[in-house]
Amino acid sequence: MSNPLAYVFSCIFVLLAHGAMLFSVFYNGSYDDVNAVIVLMAAVIGLDAVYFIILPFFKQQTYAVDFMLILILNMGLIFQSCFGGVEFRFKHFITMIAALIACRIGYFACRDHRWIEDKRKFIWIGIGILMGVILLFTGSRSMWISLGESTSVQPSEFIKPLLVLACATSVTEQQKKHKLLCFNVVYENLILFGIVAGVCLFQWWCRDLGSIPTFGAIYVSGFLLRICYPKGKYSKKPIIIAVAALAVLAVIGIIVAPPYVRDRLFVDVWNDKNGHGYQQAQALIGIADGGWFGKRPGHGFLHNVFAYNSDIVFATISEEWGLLFSVMSVFVLLMIMAIPLVNPPRSYYHGSMCAGIAAAFSVQMALNIFGSCNMIPFTGVTLPFISMGGTSMVVSGLMAGMLVAAQSPAFKAPKKKKQEQKKPQPVPSQQMQPVPPQQPQLLPPRQDVPQQPPVSYTLTDRRK
Amino acid sequence: MKSIKRCQHIITLFLSIFLVGMVVLVIKINREASFYMMNSDDHRLGMVYDRRGDVLFDGSGRGQYPDGYFTDVGNLIGDDKGQMDNTLVARNIDCLNNYSFSSGLVEKGGKAAIYTTLDHDANRAVYNAYMGAKGCACAYNYKTGELLVCTSLPSLDVTRGYADIDSMESGTLMSKVMYGTVPGSTQKVSTVISALEIMGRERLFSKTYSCTGSFVNAEGKNIDCHQSWGHGDQNIQQAIENSCNPFFAQLIQDSDMPLDRIKSQYEKLGYAINGEDMRYFDIDGIQCERASTTLTDTGDFITQWGCIGQGDTLVSPMQLMMWQSAIANSTGKMTMPYIISKVTDVDGKVKKEADTEYSKQLFTPSTASTVRQMLKTNGANNYGWQVPGYDIGIKSGTAQVKEGAEENALLVGFVDDESHPIAFCVVLENKYSTPVSAEQILTTMLNALYS
Amino acid sequence: MDTAKLIMCAVSAAALDICALVLMITAYREKSSGRKRWRKISADMELADRDRGYPLECDEILIGRHENADIRIHDMSVSRYHAILNVADGKWTITDIGSKSGVYVNGVHVEQKRLRENDVITVGERRLIFRKRRDRH
Repeated sequence: MSNPLAYVFSCIFVLLAHGAMLFSVFYNGSYDDVNAVIVLMAAVIGLDAVYFIILPFFKQQTYAVDFMLILILNMGLIFQSCFGGVEFRFKHFITMIAALIACRIGYFACRDHRWIEDKRKFIWIGIGILMGVILLFTGSRSMWISLGESTSVQPSEFIKPLLVLACATSVTEQQKKHKLLCFNVVYENLILFGIVAGVCLFQWWCRDLGSIPTFGAIYVSGFLLRICYPKGKYSKKPIIIAVAALAVLAVIGIIVAPPYVRDRLFVDVWNDKNGHGYQQAQALIGIADGGWFGKRPGHGFLHNVFAYNSDIVFATISEEWGLLFSVMSVFVLLMIMAIPLVNPPRSYYHGSMCAGIAAAFSVQMALNIFGSCNMIPFTGVTLPFISMGGTSMVVSGLMAGMLVAAQSPAFKAPKKKKQEQKKPQPVPSQQMQPVPPQQPQLLPPRQDVPQQPPVSYTLTDRRK
Repeated sequence: MKSIKRCQHIITLFLSIFLVGMVVLVIKINREASFYMMNSDDHRLGMVYDRRGDVLFDGSGRGQYPDGYFTDVGNLIGDDKGQMDNTLVARNIDCLNNYSFSSGLVEKGGKAAIYTTLDHDANRAVYNAYMGAKGCACAYNYKTGELLVCTSLPSLDVTRGYADIDSMESGTLMSKVMYGTVPGSTQKVSTVISALEIMGRERLFSKTYSCTGSFVNAEGKNIDCHQSWGHGDQNIQQAIENSCNPFFAQLIQDSDMPLDRIKSQYEKLGYAINGEDMRYFDIDGIQCERASTTLTDTGDFITQWGCIGQGDTLVSPMQLMMWQSAIANSTGKMTMPYIISKVTDVDGKVKKEADTEYSKQLFTPSTASTVRQMLKTNGANNYGWQVPGYDIGIKSGTAQVKEGAEENALLVGFVDDESHPIAFCVVLENKYSTPVSAEQILTTMLNALYS
Repeated sequence: MDTAKLIMCAVSAAALDICALVLMITAYREKSSGRKRWRKISADMELADRDRGYPLECDEILIGRHENADIRIHDMSVSRYHAILNVADGKWTITDIGSKSGVYVNGVHVEQKRLRENDVITVGERRLIFRKRRDRH
């Protein structure tokens, strides 16, 4: 640990923030039995303590994201446990722990950018498998797989982190150009476009329209980082064309959209405040009723409205805790995404991965918050880390783990291959191997090198 | 390094878009919160006051008022029960919301209020002057646009609720000032304005027509005069004073009055012609019907009657009164009336303050001063003893309604007094069976406004 | 009650604010320690041109004439995308990525080569020296 002092201080202040919230619940909350508050306190403080003790064993280089993660997760637990009266929500607690574990998984999977980049094909296959699972198990009008009585999984959520990984790219990869119909293209970019188009069409078919903007945003970030960076002229043309294409697609989408989607897109909530606009109208009234400082935890009305703890959770928090507090919680979420701005990632792959995550989170948050407040159509997506919902929680945790990985990267040398002592063999370019950066060190200067194409380098477009 | 910078730029892009959205959201919630609260079941309303601070509507419901205290303006001010939607309170209910985002709903002592320009005492005096007859009366300051009197009978006491809504007479739940009525001879003011605009003062005053009690028009139909033995030869001033129908029928039929120019002048005045879709103009949110008439051919019976004030013509008393402001000011521009002089929010801070506004040019100032002089001469010659003590310009009208079964009396005009620039319109329904005359109501109104 | 509520709200909001601030400070502290660690990974090397040094701040550093290149060399003899530098475990490697004039390390034409301190890299007509970083902040 490089900053023990900062670590200890962070622990203390996270505990303080949670403590102040819990005290507020104890003092202002609505509860019949004080035990409920004590259980909640024990859970929050206990989880904090355990987390802070376990965390150093991972020997990360940075911990800022982890602190913010536990801060926002436990805040979410307190929020969720107070809706409509203090009661410890055990289910939410379990999903939080799952999210923390997922965060570790994401961290270990992504910390070595060369390794994870090498596994690109498996990611593509993973997306394919998930789509197959959706196709087979959820049917065309649903997005849930039901497991038993009250548990269900939303497999399309898991596509998000995989898509982020698929969209992340490295400089080396973008140098592998191939000539295709007089365009210089990188095959991966085409494949990625195909995947994204497939996923979006598939989501359309599933009527899971809320996640299409998220996938779109991930792809937009990936697209910008692929097209506008290495090779390929840096001009505004591709961006303008892409934006125009998106606009046309959106217009077509609206025209082709089934009636129930259009109902949701163009609903005037105040004229229909007891029908389609009920949730939003109640959410806005709740926010207005809460004002800056809220109606105190547990004293709100919104917990009587459908999806109070997921789709309109921002309004529910605003009503009970005040707009000030809910906006600040959103800022903590923003801070998690802004961490790569403070401590820059050290490789393009990690950088583009962070950008993809920021895109996914910010669009999801925007859809949730602005949707429930009637600024944009109400789609019913979840607010990362705060909304009730296991799948979304685990996936958000996984993506947070990816951010941690970008903060504490590992630069392991690729395994040396034995045949490297021999003359390097031309490797077909379709095999997306990273460039082995190491050559035999003590080899005498060779004159025949120019005739020998290096590893993973193609002859097709060089020396034009 | 540039590559990493580029990734950071993308992150910044997404975060800043979200941040901008967040800022917009917070601003939007701050601005619209009171509107949201109005949609909630739970709200606290403030008061509506008249120009002297007298209560016209008590949103808190806690005040004690004598029976019928609000009846004179009941159907103009209205309430929040939703039975009447074209009323001041219904249209401006968000101004009365005792709520602000930072302090929440204020149970007691909220200062959200609407201060109106109305004069409660004058309204009550006018209301009482009708002595149970039906009709409506309005008056406003034609220099500033402050609406002083706006009462309509029958009316209701909103504090009593709507339990007996089924037994209420028709027209109780609306202010008749805002809705079209047959203008009778007051319409001739519009026709004179049109004639002046079309042929000019000299030409119009040189014309004389003869009235024998009845005139056979181009279509061969009779246009009767209310004086069956006729008025003989008259010029325009005499015709206005006599309110002579055959004169105006002949004026319309005159070759110097082309139809398209009459139409365009009527349109300037704000008429909806020949079933053009009825539009409304709005006075602090309250919708007021626009005048309408039928003009097809200058020789046509309906068109001629339309210009005389029967036929298909309908004008709201409000609009009749507004035209008088254009005449009284000698500008040819109407002074737009307003009811709300200021609005205060929950903390007593003034949110909105009214300002005098004028319409666009309806006719030339010279036409305005000519008509003004004609109406003043009429007032001096014929109303000096009926409305004593006031220097008024006036035009009366008798409108046949219910297919001739009833006749309404109308008076439109203005007071030529710098200190009391009042334009008015009084409508008394079924004038032969009322204990009071329109002139008496007008006198009462002016007395109340002068006191 | 209302004052108490307000105070509670202010206290918890303030606690959250301070916590956010502290975490931000932590992040900045970690930034400097992250830089230290990067020096270890990158062996704290830089590429030096005639008049200036280019710090090597991340993996996959692009050398070329194009304005998007991390190390941009204004010289027509340098290809737009000339060479790329990779790092692993403190060892830097240079790879030619299809340049017209090739990459030379210590005068020897290479496609890919591990760099060592004080190697002279020639791209086009420009010479860059791979050396320990000098402008310590």
